[in-house]
Order: sequence, then structure tokens, then C-alpha cells
Amino acid sequence: MIVLVDYGLGNIQAFANIYRRLGLPVATARTPQELDGARKIVLPGVGAFDWAMDKLNASGMREKLDELVLERGADVIGICVGMQMMARRSDEGKLPGLGWIDAEVVKFDTSGFNQPTHLPHMGWNDIKVTADDTLFRGIETPRYYFLHSYHVVPKSDAHVLATASYGGRFVAAVRAGNVYGTQFHPEKSHGWGISLLKNFAEI
Amino acid sequence: MHLAPQQRQAMAKRPFQICTNCVMDTTDSVIAFDDKGVCDHCRTFRDQTLPNWHLDERGEKELGELVGRIKAEGQGKDFDCIIGMSGGIDSSYLTYLAKERLGLRPLVFHVDAGWNSQIAVNNIERVVDGLGLDLFTEVIDWEVMKDLQLAFFRSGVSHIDAPQDHAFFATMYKFANEHKVRYILTGANLSTECVRNPVEWMYYQSDSIQIRDIHRQYGTGSLERFPLTSILWHKLYLPYVQGIRVVRPLNLMPYIKREAMALLESRFGWQPYPQKHFESRFTRFYESYWLPERFGYDVRKVQYSSLILTGQMTREEALERLATPPYDKETIGAEIEFVASKLGITVDELNGYMALPRRTYRDFKSQRKLYDVGAKVMRLFGLEIGGKR
Amino acid sequence: MLRPRLIPCLLVHKGGLAKTVKFADPKYVGDPINAVRIFNEKEVDELFVADIDATRQAREPDYKLISSLAAECRMPLCYGGGVDKVEQVERIIGLGVEKVALSAAVIARPELVSEAAERVGSQSIVVVLDARQAGAGRYEAVTHSATKRTGLDVAETARRMQELGAGEIVVNAVDRDGMMQGYDRNLIAQVRDSVTLPMTALGGAGSLADFQSLFAEHGIIGAAAGSFFVFKGKYRAVLISYPNRTEKENLLNRARAGQ
Repeated sequence: MIVLVDYGLGNIQAFANIYRRLGLPVATARTPQELDGARKIVLPGVGAFDWAMDKLNASGMREKLDELVLERGADVIGICVGMQMMARRSDEGKLPGLGWIDAEVVKFDTSGFNQPTHLPHMGWNDIKVTADDTLFRGIETPRYYFLHSYHVVPKSDAHVLATASYGGRFVAAVRAGNVYGTQFHPEKSHGWGISLLKNFAEI
Repeated sequence: MHLAPQQRQAMAKRPFQICTNCVMDTTDSVIAFDDKGVCDHCRTFRDQTLPNWHLDERGEKELGELVGRIKAEGQGKDFDCIIGMSGGIDSSYLTYLAKERLGLRPLVFHVDAGWNSQIAVNNIERVVDGLGLDLFTEVIDWEVMKDLQLAFFRSGVSHIDAPQDHAFFATMYKFANEHKVRYILTGANLSTECVRNPVEWMYYQSDSIQIRDIHRQYGTGSLERFPLTSILWHKLYLPYVQGIRVVRPLNLMPYIKREAMALLESRFGWQPYPQKHFESRFTRFYESYWLPERFGYDVRKVQYSSLILTGQMTREEALERLATPPYDKETIGAEIEFVASKLGITVDELNGYMALPRRTYRDFKSQRKLYDVGAKVMRLFGLEIGGKR
Repeated sequence: MLRPRLIPCLLVHKGGLAKTVKFADPKYVGDPINAVRIFNEKEVDELFVADIDATRQAREPDYKLISSLAAECRMPLCYGGGVDKVEQVERIIGLGVEKVALSAAVIARPELVSEAAERVGSQSIVVVLDARQAGAGRYEAVTHSATKRTGLDVAETARRMQELGAGEIVVNAVDRDGMMQGYDRNLIAQVRDSVTLPMTALGGAGSLADFQSLFAEHGIIGAAAGSFFVFKGKYRAVLISYPNRTEKENLLNRARAGQ
């Protein structure tokens, strides 16, 4: 059972539809009780860091999520700002992040850009999978939709699953044990995204 | 077939029996078998359809004459005929034939009822581009179509695809009438349709009295923006007063579905559908799920029987296929959700319609008697072969 | 490598899809949900949906429709039309839409851009500038389905919007709307020179060659079109189309080769 965390942000319906059409059981959690027992969690996100952290903290599910992820080892995947929230902090905001992964979120350095478009990084970009992980299993020429001006920098290279190029290379997907994250939007990346979400469900 | 109510009831209670020649069976409640177990569909085909279906030089001659008339009629005009194009195999192949083999200058005419599948849209594009033809589309007002389709669901009858079918023909007739186009070409054909859906399963889609009555009782808005035709208008007025005729060229030449598909695929990159009529997502839902699950009517039996009679499928193959369910159990949930969400209702509501008491066209006003008279006249004068019963 | 974006633009009018010519004479195109479904299967880059009545009629966005579209859409969605408050922006993003387009509202009250960006992030704020020729090679911003003139220079306005925190600029050539005779390249160049934000051109695209030359000139840019993806041929027959994977790759390759 995939549990989608509905704290008021991110396209819950898109995730739900994808899993339903894959024939995989999916549920939405809006309260800590609805999260109880979850072993596979999707933390979606769109928007600014502080706004998202505020909403998550106000949802009442924060403690339960910490318990499930940090103590019970439930698999969790953070999407876009959902992944950024899993870091310790972000240049974009003042609030601390969840700290589920030892990383920080910084703004793209566009000083060296020699193209007219700078930020946000917007559109379909190829990714390079740098670690052999089940998350990207079987996905050919992986490319996804990105929409962000900040990117995550994990302390350890061992936590990097995939990178992409914008200016220089930046981290597109992470994994620290049971904690996964993608900077891009798999729920809005057609077949490539659907395959990734399916892989996550089958971990 | 006019049966008295007691006769009809008696027929409905019969033990199951399947034709020994094709695969039609007693789910067609008025089916009649001879002493060899061969059904009346087969016998009608053998005794009435076949002798009047000219695939040899007679057919060629008829076709040649028809083409000549169309070309003469179309001289000096932008196009000489319109072809009703759904993106399906029959209309796609017909379009190719019309342009490349018959040298006609058709306007490809497509009616969008809101349920086009991506494959259909893609196929229309490929054929139109590949042949360098002009396309005209008419988009049916979705709010009205939705209202009418919901009315049909609520009425409990089995012919809930009548709104789409009716809209297609009514729109084409109206266009032809407005622009004085004398020839409407359709892909209807005996090769894959010599056995027709029993009237019991799918009552005449052209009966506008029935549509109006069902809408009056179960619809909400107005039908004003829905294209309506009437049987007298398009079977009498249009052909005999305006000289506008519907012709079926695929009946005048050998038409082997498999070969047609191969040609379209290699020539235009045309994509096949999982089953006949899957150009429309609603028709797919209706024929593969709704009709068999709710009424026990499996249209594959009709389609395969036609192919059996024309030597394009063996009875064994048909029976094998019929042994599998008509819909994909993996994806049906998503299909039901899609249909419900598109109609603006919940899945529960849709399932609720599924469980309504079953009704028939006889529960509503209709022009059934007129159709029966018409069918007799047509047969008498040899004007049409392969009609419904 | 980041690719330029090819974006169908769907206009919603009275709950149904419509297409205009020079912002007038909307022609009924059909059901929005079915269109989204078909675009899904065609693996479209992203979708732009604009409600062309909402602003003029000063009414709220149709949240039910937006929600259905967002749920159905397998690619990023940008919604615009009738949005003039931060709460609306938040609500729309909450429904699962990636970007919200603002136009008349931010011309009337530019601070709205910063206010909204602060809540939902710059990346989700798109400013749409409808542009009309103003003589001497300059362009004026217009609003309310091109019925109101503002006296503001489009390129200058774009620059201001970037400063205020917008995440994308869509520039729409009103004079070219529905004409399918090519983009207004002057307009696009002017705006391109004035912002470092992602930018999208809309208005006039009539062929794949229009997209190709736009990409060849500007590299990373969004190419949006309404009529092109929805109409076919001389009778403007409604038929949804979009280049398939191979056709798109070829187009991008030719653009990169500067053809």
C-alpha cells in the first residue's frame, strides 16, 4: 500500500491516478492516524521551502512521519520540494528541514551561465543515473520535468542516485537508506515517471 | 421481427443453444435454428445476402458506374463526395481506396463526439496527411452529448451508444444537405458486418422519436444543440428529393480486413485497435464491458460470425476468443473511472446505472413499425441487403 | 541536456475548449478532459490552459474544472484566467497545478507577483503579457482579452516582473493569434533581451518550421501554440495533433544544427 501524504501541496490526485491505473493499492493520509502503519510513503511538493514546511508542520503529521521514517524504516520518496524538505536547511527559507538526509539546499549559481535563460530550471532534462539502484531499473534514456531554482547538495556522494546538467552538474535524485528523493516530478513525466513510481512501489 | 409478447417471453426462456455454423446463440433471444442447428443469421446470409452481393465483374461494373456518377457530379466543385471517417479500419481503408484506386476527390468528414481515443485521432491525421486530403470536423456540443448519454444510462435500455451513432449520421446528412453534396461514402460493409447486432441488443440508432422520448424522461437540458435526423428525412427526402445518397463502396469489391490493415500500417503508419469500434473510448466501454456485463450481449459474437461467414475466421478461433472475457480485467477499473469522470458522475453512480432494472426500446416511444415496413419495402425492391433484425 | 519546450495552449470558454482568431470569434473545439487525455498519450511537454472569460467576467476560476484537468494531466500544467488574489494562486497550486499564470491582475497591481511568489515560489508564477503592436517597432501590453490598453511597453514590463519575482514570462502576440502565419520574432527578441527568466512565445505558430526556427534562434525557449495543435487544414478541422517522439527529436536536432 502506497501512502500519499496530503498536507495541502503537490498533486496528490496525479499520484493516486498513476498508482490506481497501475493496479497498485494507494491511500491518502491527511492525519497521523491515517499514516499509521505506512511502509511506503510519497511526500509530494511544489512551491517555496518555508511555505511547504509550514504546511507540513501544521498538518499534524510531522511527528508521525519522523517516527515512521527514522525509527520504523518506512520507505519514503520526496518529490521536488518534498525532497528538499528532507534536507537540513535551504537557502530559500528560514525554517529548518526534516533532516532525514544529511544535505542542504542551495540556489543555482548562474554567474557563469552563457545562455539567456537562467532561473528557474524549467523543462525536460536528461538525467544520468550514477548508482545502480532499483528506483531507475529498466528506464531507458531517463528524462524528467524539472521546475526549481534551488537544488540539493548531499554531504556524502554515496547518497547521490542521479545527476543532471544545468550550468554544471547537480543532484537530481538521492537515496539515504530508506529515504529517497527526486528533484524532478515523476508524476508529471509521462512513462518515465510512471516507471519510476512503479519501481518505488516494488522496492 | 414482430413477435407477440408471449412469443417473446417464450423465446427468452429457451435453453442455451449456439449455432453450429457461426457463433451466434440464444443471447439473441429471437434467434431461430433449423434442424441442423444453423441459425437464421446464417441462412439469411446464404439465401438472401450472398446472391445479391456481387464481388465479381458485376460488382466491378457497378463500382465503375458509381464512381463515374460521383465524378460527374463533382465536376467543378472542391470535392466530389464526403467520407465519414472515424479513424477505424473500414473508414480508413475506404478513404485510401477512394483517393488512390477510384480517383475520387473526397472531403474527409469526422464527427467528434468527445470520446476520440488517441489512436483514432492519430490514425485520422496519418491517413489525411498521407493521402493529401482535406479534413472537415464537426464537434458535437459536449454538454448536450453528456446530458443525452446520461439520459440513456438512466433509462435502463441497452442501446446507450445511440447518441454517438445518431450524431455521426445526422451531422453528415446535414452537412451534405447544406452543401448539396450528393454522395456520402461510408465504410459499412458486408465483409465484416453481414451479421448485424440484433435490434434487441442495439435498437435503430436513427430513430429520433426514441431519442427524444428518452431525453424527455431522463435528460435535463435542451436537445436543441444536438444534431437530430429522422428516418423519413434521410431515407426518403434526402435520396429521393435532394438526390443525396449514402453508398457503401466496400461492398462492391473483395474486402479482406487483414489485408486492409496491413496495407494501412505499412503505407501510413496506421495503428490497429484492440477490437472493432475502439476508436471511441465510450464505444469500447459500452461494447466490451457494459453490454456483456449488464445484458449478457457480447457483440464479439456478431463480429466473429460475420468473419466466419466471409471466410476470414474459423469457428474454432472464434470460440477460443469468446472463451476469454471481452474486457481486460487489469484495466477495466481505470476505464470505468474514466467514463464516470468524463460524464461528471461518480463511479458509484455509474455502477448504480449498471444495476437498474433492464429495459428495452419498447418501453419508450419509437418508430419501430415504420422501420419494419421500411425494411420489408427495401427487401422487396432489393434496395438494401444485410439489414438488421 | 535541457530541452526547449513545445506547449499546446488550450483556451476554455463556457466550460468547453475554444479557439479564437485575434482574440475574437471563439470556435468550439470540444471537451477539455478528452483533449488532455489525448495530449497525455502524445507525451506533450507541458500544457497551458487559459480561461478566456474569467477575467472579463470578473469571476472566480472554475476550480472543479481545474481539479479535473490537473488530476488527468500526466505532464506539467499551467493555469491562467481570472486569478487576481494570492489565495487563489495558493488554492490552484494546492489542486495539483504546477504553475499559475497571471496577466491583467499583475499589470493592475504588480506587487501581487512578489506576494504570490513568496508563498508558492517563483517557479510557479507565470506572467502572461498580451502584446499588441504600438508602432515604431515597440509593443504595448493589453489585457481583458485584448480589449483594454495599458500604455506599458511589453519588454520593460517583463523586466519589472522578473524583478518582482516572476518565474516565467509568456509573451502573446495578439495580432498573430489564430492566424497561423508565424511567430512575431521581433516581439520575442525584445522580451528575450530584457529578462533572464524562462520565456515562452505564443501567437501565430502555423507549422513545425516555426518551432524549429524559434529553437534555432533562441536555444532554450518555450514555443506555445493553440491553433496549430488543434486545427488541421484549410477548413480548420478540429483534430488534436502533436509531433511524436521521433518527429520532435528530429526537429530539435535540426534546430541545434542551426537549420
